[in-house]
Amino acid sequence: MLGWTSLKWLSWISLYIIPVVILPWAVSRTWVHQHGRELHLSPARFYQRGELGLPTLILAVSVIWNLLQSQFMPHTIALGSVILGFGGMMAVAVWVETFCRQSSGTDWHPERAWHDSKSLALLVFSVAAVMEILLDRLAKVVSR
Amino acid sequence: MSAPAPAFSAKTQRRIAVVRLADASDAVTVLSFLFAMLLVFFPATFPRLIVNSWEHGQLMPALMVITFLLDTGIYLRIAYLQSARPGPVAAACLGSLPLLVVGGLSLLQQSAVSHTLAADLPNLQARVGEEIFAHTYLGLVGGVFLPFLVIRLVSQFRTKNS
Repeated sequence: MLGWTSLKWLSWISLYIIPVVILPWAVSRTWVHQHGRELHLSPARFYQRGELGLPTLILAVSVIWNLLQSQFMPHTIALGSVILGFGGMMAVAVWVETFCRQSSGTDWHPERAWHDSKSLALLVFSVAAVMEILLDRLAKVVSR
Repeated sequence: MSAPAPAFSAKTQRRIAVVRLADASDAVTVLSFLFAMLLVFFPATFPRLIVNSWEHGQLMPALMVITFLLDTGIYLRIAYLQSARPGPVAAACLGSLPLLVVGGLSLLQQSAVSHTLAADLPNLQARVGEEIFAHTYLGLVGGVFLPFLVIRLVSQFRTKNS
């Protein structure tokens, strides 16, 4: 069924790591190099306001789109979409709440926002990975 | 009458544990990666095991027990880490919601299987197996994640009203 040669779902989902981690890191390194400034760069500082929720929602939406185009029964598609959708929305909610707290002058904790958005991003990423494996398996069953 | 001792007062007025979705998310992430690993390393055996237990009617009770124990464990861990006491609303949610969610999703699973069988598609047996397998995974994730989502939303609503 699923062999080592058919790990395309993994490479597909890994593409999301490039815009989320590698691209901001590379751009900021370039900026530091150009301006000759000292900056401590880390994902925790990049996403300290919970901005990781945005790419998380994009990932969730793209897997929901894949699910909608699959040959799973509508019940399965609906259930998978609801779980992924809730995960994505809650990840964005972390960013929105942190933004509101910061804008209104209420106390906000960058470590907490980073921790929450990271946990929800990993949740959506792992569920998306399993859904892609399941979609791959179904595609093979259908094509037989 | 003398005032109560500070230590005693602090002990009796322990606050209720505050649930954050990140706590449940970590457990679901581990569960999902475990599921993915089992799928990659045992692509035939693991799904067959799931489908066999579904055919013998053991899957849903097992899922209910697993989600209930996981949810309870996560909540008690949250309470322990925060040195807080479990709240009655959260306890009621965690006592009932995993069972309700998994029970409801089992009805959805039955319906999906019935629709697949009625569709008269090629390679029917394997398709039914994939539907059962997908619903098992989603039931597990839903049974762990959704109760905490409800607790989080309810507690936010209560905070807003109080």
